[in-house]
Amino acid sequence: MKALCWMGKSKVEVHTVDEPTILNPHDAIIKITRTAICGSDLHLFDGFIPTMEEGDILGHEFMGIVEEVGRSVSNLQRGDRVVIPFTIACGNCEFCKKKIWAACDNSNPNAHLMEAAYGYSGSGLFGYSHMMGGYAGGQAQYVRVPFANVGALKIETDLPDEKVLFLSDIFPTGYMAAENAQIQNNDIVAVWGCGPVGQFAIASAFMLGAARVIAIDRLPERLELARSLGAITVDYSEEDVNVLTALKDLTGGVGPDSCIDAVGLEAHSAQLQGIYDTVKTSLMLETDRPIVLRQAIQSVRKGGTVSLPGVYGGLLDKVPFGSAFGKGITMKMGQTNMHTYMKPLLERIEKGQIDPSYIISHRISLEEAPEMYKVWRDKQENVTKIVIDPWAERQQVPLSQS
Amino acid sequence: MSQVLNEKPNIELSPIIASAGVTLNNRYLPPPEDKDGKLWVRASTRIQVDADSLYQIWRDLESIPLWQEQITRVTRTGERTSHWVMRSGDKTIEWDSEILADEPGRRIAWRSIGGDSDNAGEVIFEAAPGNRGTMVTVLQEFRMGKLASAWETLVGRNPKQAVIENLRHFKALAETGEIPRTQGQPHGPRGMIAGMKESSYGEKTATPPGLNRIAS
Repeated sequence: MKALCWMGKSKVEVHTVDEPTILNPHDAIIKITRTAICGSDLHLFDGFIPTMEEGDILGHEFMGIVEEVGRSVSNLQRGDRVVIPFTIACGNCEFCKKKIWAACDNSNPNAHLMEAAYGYSGSGLFGYSHMMGGYAGGQAQYVRVPFANVGALKIETDLPDEKVLFLSDIFPTGYMAAENAQIQNNDIVAVWGCGPVGQFAIASAFMLGAARVIAIDRLPERLELARSLGAITVDYSEEDVNVLTALKDLTGGVGPDSCIDAVGLEAHSAQLQGIYDTVKTSLMLETDRPIVLRQAIQSVRKGGTVSLPGVYGGLLDKVPFGSAFGKGITMKMGQTNMHTYMKPLLERIEKGQIDPSYIISHRISLEEAPEMYKVWRDKQENVTKIVIDPWAERQQVPLSQS
Repeated sequence: MSQVLNEKPNIELSPIIASAGVTLNNRYLPPPEDKDGKLWVRASTRIQVDADSLYQIWRDLESIPLWQEQITRVTRTGERTSHWVMRSGDKTIEWDSEILADEPGRRIAWRSIGGDSDNAGEVIFEAAPGNRGTMVTVLQEFRMGKLASAWETLVGRNPKQAVIENLRHFKALAETGEIPRTQGQPHGPRGMIAGMKESSYGEKTATPPGLNRIAS
């Protein structure tokens, strides 16, 4: 089959590889009908996430048709149409039983690597480094899904793939970010990063009762999408815009009740601290660039909540912890507990409350994917979300755009 | 019990000694130090399965190759004795083992009695505080002679990590009926560096089969 492989920093290639087989009793093999590139794949592309190996198959947002199931999978059968969550959860350990699925004890074969780095290991993830399990991902024609009996969400209506694909990660991730932000009715919520997760965080903040959402980014196409949801936008790249001042101005001087950092470890800033972090990370004195996190902590109101769906990987420098303590804020974060959100969010899609496909800007074949990783990383061509049909033939230039 | 604080609705009476020497009179005891050629490893995990069932899985010695790394065969040779075979690549080591203590649902202790490995150990199963599953604690010692270091070379993991990984496999098998694995999945071309990484990540050590059919 064809699969997109990580071959080193800034290098991804399509290779012909073996088809996956059932390796464990709760496995299923899925023939992938649609898959997507996630913003967090760009962290891999940029070499920010350690323990990638040359030849790793990328991709953790995918859906498809069940091709084959292991002997202990009784709730799925060949031909079922399913969306697969990017976190792998066994369903039986004490964390799964508490519905902290992303902390599953039994799905990461390389748990010792994550224990060494983080103290304890979270669940395995598809296509996201060996520390996170080393599982082959879904930017491919087929994928093996462990614990498919627990994770796979069956789609039993004729909703098109594009409307349900994002249940595999970014819609639940944006929703959990809003839930973690502890939004009360009529709250003011600020969201940094208007990429796909930020978009769904904005939409979810409104669903959870926010009166005003302030969206912060620099890319016009993303800010426009945010405004289409009803958010007020702040373009931090504009001259004279200071995000902290903007957030005071837009909240009557109080600060947002909740701040959502949907950017994570590769934040950009043209200001001095951006240069400081870029230098420090290049010298390996710091692994992450926590510019947004600093702003979120600094700007949230007293007693407010900072929610972090954006990925952080390692050691952060100059985080204003005194401000966090001084204001008595709450911080909530972590990989998404996917299995809790998929079904309720599918119901919202079925009821027509939201159509997640509004963020798609590019539809491509697998062969076009290596190029599109670069295009998205370099923020060209107004990319908001790239969806891959792994069975499509390569299209001729220009790259398909919807 | 202390009279200073009278309201402790969930407190449990502490045994004088518990968990393979983890506590003594309510004081935490660190694991034994490595010295005189002896390596110690103590590891614990919490499993959502009752102690009796866990004891039975562990006590079924002939099934140990299902969940312990690179143990290819365990044969009962007597009421309390067994013969162990461990293989890595084309190298094999063998030893005999004897059970010293056997308390159903609670504790098993053993030691090697000749052959290529000099080791001893104990596993304790006890209800976790608040009945949140079963705490399983393993205390194992290896004598580091020529043989033990040969053993280390063979398994490709240091023996301490092997004990920790085996306990992890035991938990996964008991809780889910399988051991998570990626060996055998597809991948693109691996360069030389990826091969080195695989080794250093411990990915070259074969994951035990769990309840999958064992390839002969």
